[in-house]
Amino acid sequence: MSEPTPEVYERGRGMDAHNAVMREVRARNDQSYDPREPTRVWLDEDNTPDGVVQSLTIILNTGGCRWARAGGCTMCGYVAESVDGGSVDHDALRAQIDAALTHEQDHADAPSPLVKIYTSGSFLDEREVGAETRAMIADTFADRDRIVVESLPDFVDAAKLRDFREVGLATDVAIGLETTSDRVRHDCVNKYFDFDDFVAATEAADAAGAGVKAYLLLKPPFLAETDAIEDAVTSIRECARYCHTVSMNPCNVQSYTMVEDLHRAGGYRPPWLWSVAEILERTADVDAIVVSDPVGHGSDRGPHNCGECDDRVHTAIKDFNRRQDPSVFEEVECACERTWDAVTARERGYNQPLTR
Amino acid sequence: MTEHFEVLDRDGAARHGELRLPTPLETPGLVGAVGVDDHDAVAAILRDGGSEWRRERSTPETDPAELTILPHRAFPRGTDDRVMTAFDPPVTALEDPTAAVVAPDTAADHGVDAYVLASATGHVGHARSFREAITATRRAIPDDTALYLPGVATPGNVALLAYAGVDLVDADRAVIRGTQGRYLTPDGHRFLEDLEELPCACEACQRPRDRFDREACVAHNVAALDAELRRVRERIRTGRLRDYLEGQVRHDQWQTAAFRRFDQEWGYLEERAPVFRTAELAATTADALHRPEIQRFADRVTTRYVPRLDDGVALLVPCSARKPYSDSRSHRRFQDAANYRAHVVSMTSPIGVVPTELELTYPAQHYDAAVTGTWTDDEIDFVGRVLERYLARADYDRVVAHVPAAGYRPAVEGATDALDLEVTYTVADHPTDEASLAALADALDGEPQIRVADRERATVRAIADYQFGEGAGDAVFGDCSLEGRHPKLRVLAGADAPAEEGALLATLVPSYGLLALTVAGARAWVDSDVGVRRVHIDDFVPHGSVLAPGVVDADEAIRVGDEVVVEGPSALAVGRATMHGAAMVESSRGVAVDIRHTTES
Repeated sequence: MSEPTPEVYERGRGMDAHNAVMREVRARNDQSYDPREPTRVWLDEDNTPDGVVQSLTIILNTGGCRWARAGGCTMCGYVAESVDGGSVDHDALRAQIDAALTHEQDHADAPSPLVKIYTSGSFLDEREVGAETRAMIADTFADRDRIVVESLPDFVDAAKLRDFREVGLATDVAIGLETTSDRVRHDCVNKYFDFDDFVAATEAADAAGAGVKAYLLLKPPFLAETDAIEDAVTSIRECARYCHTVSMNPCNVQSYTMVEDLHRAGGYRPPWLWSVAEILERTADVDAIVVSDPVGHGSDRGPHNCGECDDRVHTAIKDFNRRQDPSVFEEVECACERTWDAVTARERGYNQPLTR
Repeated sequence: MTEHFEVLDRDGAARHGELRLPTPLETPGLVGAVGVDDHDAVAAILRDGGSEWRRERSTPETDPAELTILPHRAFPRGTDDRVMTAFDPPVTALEDPTAAVVAPDTAADHGVDAYVLASATGHVGHARSFREAITATRRAIPDDTALYLPGVATPGNVALLAYAGVDLVDADRAVIRGTQGRYLTPDGHRFLEDLEELPCACEACQRPRDRFDREACVAHNVAALDAELRRVRERIRTGRLRDYLEGQVRHDQWQTAAFRRFDQEWGYLEERAPVFRTAELAATTADALHRPEIQRFADRVTTRYVPRLDDGVALLVPCSARKPYSDSRSHRRFQDAANYRAHVVSMTSPIGVVPTELELTYPAQHYDAAVTGTWTDDEIDFVGRVLERYLARADYDRVVAHVPAAGYRPAVEGATDALDLEVTYTVADHPTDEASLAALADALDGEPQIRVADRERATVRAIADYQFGEGAGDAVFGDCSLEGRHPKLRVLAGADAPAEEGALLATLVPSYGLLALTVAGARAWVDSDVGVRRVHIDDFVPHGSVLAPGVVDADEAIRVGDEVVVEGPSALAVGRATMHGAAMVESSRGVAVDIRHTTES
């Protein structure tokens, strides 16, 4: 037997510290949520392998991510919006799906060809969503074209995905890979799995005839703007080999998270929208759909530029999502690009953030 | 070991030093990243070994002409202690100039030349957190190493940074603010579009206002930062940074608050405050009352100083603009009336009370106050409290208060309220009018004169008390005779002193009112029961100076300018400290003691 390396030991210590801190931060939250209401439902347009289509996104309230309850990811506050006690029964989940369908009927002209179901955890973890509920959902959306379900790689197996494949749904698993760097994923994000686990999950999905949509995180805590850009560019290139779609999303400041504590103390700034544009431009050549959905753009807690140009750059990003054409970014200009240039040239791990 | 940085001058916590590269850089100074900073004012010498949050790093290539920042895991402000402890990477200093990235809570001696405070951008702007971050970091790293605050300096705050003990800054914030159209000056910032006239004459500001764009604003901001750093260095060299800062911080609320927060942290500033300067001390703001030099004087007068001329009457008089007081016209007229029949004690804001023996002693003859004829309530309260403590320790028969009604009289009343002392007020209208002087002469009618010899003896002893500790005047110079005329007094051993009779023990230095000891004087101090401020050195005979690496141990009570006894296996010497005691122990570069006399033993 070989001795554990110091690196592994350090990683264990780091993870213990992150989890201890995150548990404390999350414990400050004392709100509770109705298990019969989904956390959030919205309609949008998505670029899929089938083209740009209307989508229905449902954040199911399942009691939340098991990893988050152990402490979990440093930027993720979704567990804060989950039902206490950690389990939601079949009937309640059915009620949530019904509420989502009502929302769609009220706000859309036609059913969305694409349905995306997130749980702020793992839809494929049977402790969050049981087999009965999974089958019910497959049945409910059997008339759609494509379904995306969120999961950590551990829970991706062909058997579970067959529920959807068998009703004729094109199926994708959305995996929060965050970065292809194990070091950044472990130490900055505090997500426990390795890139190899992600690759194994893509193989399992493939075996079931399903695809994978990788979610990357731009600028986890502790990375300076430039390091974050480089990490995202590298990650897009590396993971595009294993998935048809990469969604690269700038970190935002969510409640009851370590990122929120850092942000409040002046130790974290969400990424610039110019950084998102730069990354999309630089990776426009990769063989996958690369999209980005900046949440809370233009606000202090979301990805932002100077306040003047945020909406315009956000529009260009949405435009890029649909057309995958980097020339959309040539259309937007602002004096703050010079500031962003200075930040990317000068920001280091030890002087961040250089601006608010 | 600090190899590539040296502190040359100290002014409180501020230091003027030198980053020892092939082209030396004066500090506090502007550094920048190699290949990034192209402004002439910036020494582009920083090479970042990289963040280990992003990837594992190997030992970086170094260059003797650069300051290499060793691979780091920086902890921004708000990082939990447990995360810092778990992730803080080991640091290995290298031969070339290196810097280590630290956080206030985990900073430690890594044997490097400079330390980069990673959370600086989060602390600057928050008075208390800034003070805590700086003092914690400065205490954790060796005194003779450079402290670099990245990403925060502006023309407006850099004097405060230097005052707090920062040695290196960069132009990052000045540049970025310029790109945002913010025009920076030592008195704050303006949005470019709001400026009708450019309040500067730097090269960038030579162009017409309507052609002054954001690029020009960047150039101006860097030039303004450079100019302010020059001012700061010059102020440190002359020991007058605080005088500048008391006025300058007022342009920004957080800076004023931070400045006062430092005054509340007595220990950090006092440890670094010199016991004397030869420069003037401007007392023009209310904050001057809280200067460590002034608080220290008030403290020593009321704890160390032993009253010896308190057999008869205390004559309280107002201070004079001219120093020493006894040279002033007003004090000569007081003395003409009093004719040495009372012990003169001057009352003054902001110093408190100055018994006549200590009128030469720093800062009593160095401060220059703004005179308006009135005192604020704070001044009355401060002077009154010092006077009360002073009188409580003395044994006067009574007090004659020859002071004006405004300010002084309420202070005297406040001080003597609780004391069982008869107070006679002798000023009718103005202290120097004929009626008042006549009243003063009357009030002392029949009192015996204090003889010159007694006054001079008391002066030497009072200074010894003040300098070495309570009662040192008697313990060290109990048996002595004096030579010369005040203020040029020389202290000789008396007939029953341990030293040979007539041997020179000490000389009074008139320019700052402290004693300079000889080796015989040092021996007298060592033989007394007064705590000796000692510096233990290695086995060598010091001449000229003792360098920090030669110091084995030093008393933590030593302050810059203190007389110290230097002892080693082969020498006994006496000299003046040029660093505080803790710095002598921690440092591996720089002069620790200026030696005056040495004997081999």
